[in-house]
Amino acid sequence: MLKYILKRLGLAILILLGVSLIIYVLVRCMPVNFVVTKVTSLPNAIFDEEALKGMLVKYGLEDNSFLGILKGYFKWLGNLLIFDFGDSFVYGSPVIEVIKSHMGVSFMVALIATVFEFLIAIPLGITAATHQYSIRDYVVTVLVMIGISLPSFFFAQILKYVFSTELGWLPTAGGEDATQSTTGIAAVFSQFKFYVLPILTVVILSIGGRMRMTRTEMLEVMNSDYIRTARAKGLGEGKVIYKHAFRNTLIPLVTSLAGLLPSLFSGAIITEQIFNLPGIGNKAFAALTKGDIPFIMGYNMFLAMLSVLGVLLADLMYAVVDPRVKLTD
Amino acid sequence: MNKDLLQQENLPVEDVTVEDSAFEAPEVVMLEKADDSIEKNVRLMSPWRMVVRRFFRSKLSVIGLVMLVSLFLFCWVGPLFYTKWDSSIPDNTPSLVYTTVEVEFEDGGEKQTMITVTEKLNPESLLKVPSKDHVLGTDGDGRDILIRLMDGGQISLTISFLAVFVITLLGVIFGGIAGYFGGAVDNVIMRICDILMCLPGFPILLIVGSLIDSWGIPLQYKIYFLMGFLTLISWSGTARLVRGQILSLREQEYMVAAEAMGYSTARKIFKHLIPNVLPQLIVSMTLSLGSMILYEASLSYLGMGAPPEYAAWGTMINAATNADILQNYFNVWGPPGICIIIAVLGFNFVGDGLRDALDPKGRR
Repeated sequence: MLKYILKRLGLAILILLGVSLIIYVLVRCMPVNFVVTKVTSLPNAIFDEEALKGMLVKYGLEDNSFLGILKGYFKWLGNLLIFDFGDSFVYGSPVIEVIKSHMGVSFMVALIATVFEFLIAIPLGITAATHQYSIRDYVVTVLVMIGISLPSFFFAQILKYVFSTELGWLPTAGGEDATQSTTGIAAVFSQFKFYVLPILTVVILSIGGRMRMTRTEMLEVMNSDYIRTARAKGLGEGKVIYKHAFRNTLIPLVTSLAGLLPSLFSGAIITEQIFNLPGIGNKAFAALTKGDIPFIMGYNMFLAMLSVLGVLLADLMYAVVDPRVKLTD
Repeated sequence: MNKDLLQQENLPVEDVTVEDSAFEAPEVVMLEKADDSIEKNVRLMSPWRMVVRRFFRSKLSVIGLVMLVSLFLFCWVGPLFYTKWDSSIPDNTPSLVYTTVEVEFEDGGEKQTMITVTEKLNPESLLKVPSKDHVLGTDGDGRDILIRLMDGGQISLTISFLAVFVITLLGVIFGGIAGYFGGAVDNVIMRICDILMCLPGFPILLIVGSLIDSWGIPLQYKIYFLMGFLTLISWSGTARLVRGQILSLREQEYMVAAEAMGYSTARKIFKHLIPNVLPQLIVSMTLSLGSMILYEASLSYLGMGAPPEYAAWGTMINAATNADILQNYFNVWGPPGICIIIAVLGFNFVGDGLRDALDPKGRR
């Protein structure tokens, strides 16, 4: 077990090295002039020739020879090891601080959305599986398929159109309402209404995958011998389904929970941008369009670390949840 | 023939078509010709025909197919009939609006009138509501929406097809090599796959977007470069699928036979292994067509894709970021969204149907 974990950790480091190399090379493909133009067009721009040069040296951008790039890469990598992602051009503070301060909003949206996703998708998947090829199965399948097929930006605009402009129930955008200065529960509630539509968008789009996963697993389990045995010994249908069948579909569901880790923290770029939430996805998009190179690199590395961690956790979780799985090799 | 017989074993009961005449035939004949009675009574079907039959038995896949066919007809045949407008040229035909300003002044005791005439694009052709002239109205720049929908569909669908084709090609090549040769080659390719899997897709594309800007590539080709890069980082799923399949196929008896016959490596891979991976490959291709359309649309929506003159569905929905258009002109941003949904849903339905139809264990 320990050997397996160590091996996986080694692999994770290898993957991160690969990802960092790709990101660095990509960013270095930009001509320096372009970077300088972008930087000088920022609101809090540095016009001083000396300061500009200092900045280029700081990010290892001054030398464009092969050796220079190599040197810059290792310098950047060294800084990554001590979690120094550099300073964001746009936000003027360390990248890691920016990520930290905006992660909360994204995390909240993703967490609530995930809870709802599981609460809705699993029962739907179970009914669809137990009533396979019935009207109910078809209706549920078609509805969730539509959910999967919706482009997030289009669905978000429709929600905005219906609930904000036509019905006027919810605000169109923004995470902070400056006009109100309520405190306590009222404040939470007034804040919450900004998050209803983004959460709804995320939930509707993600239900489909989870429901279909539940359905497939459930169907597989329902065909196994011990379900026949359970029925043969005269157990009620409810007991067969929820006590014998559903428990065994939990294995892949719980495992996939670990794989959700990256999406909990990474923020939804498009959804946050449309509803103008102060989440990390929105901030990242704004930084990306303005050519904020340290932030771009930091954010991408942050995402890569999360997904490496997610894969690792999913594998370990698999062994924890399912006693039949032995971690060897 | 051999292959057909093999498939026969897997045939679900309802798939065996028993010819009516066999029942009416005298028993004696049946006994006499006992040897070839199977040949006579059971119509042999090639595996592909069985797949087609099973595919068309599912209602959802037929609906998906109809959706896709009508969408393709709309995008490629539609412009042949709807030739009144051009997707990139605004409708300024009705007339130009002349604003005349008369200024009277006195010049040496003589009264004179100066008339300044400014011509402007007819503002009435901007954001027109649907009418006989413009079936779906016009957008904020006075371009006809219906023709933009057709041309945009051509762009979006072509890009998605190209992307899926390249992804599959790369996936088959790398997955095939990894699965067939194994060992160190396999290890290296699979580690590359691991790295690509952990690469954040969308943010990386945004970097590539600004990279393309910095190289000064014309905006109308930007989306092709972006999608090209996307294919370079997304073949890992296909490669894993192909590799896994080939690893299990490699151990089968017929591969041992192929080995014994002394076939060349290329022949073994392309003639014996790849055709057996094809079913899963077709399913994954169909399903990823839908996701590629979504990717392309999202990029265009964020302004990373085709510029507004070159309509793509995502670019057209981008108009809804304007609050006025969002509130009052559903005809501008609604139709492209509906087209995207139809396309993605169609590919998903067809992909699902194909998966069920190609699954030899399937009983429906």
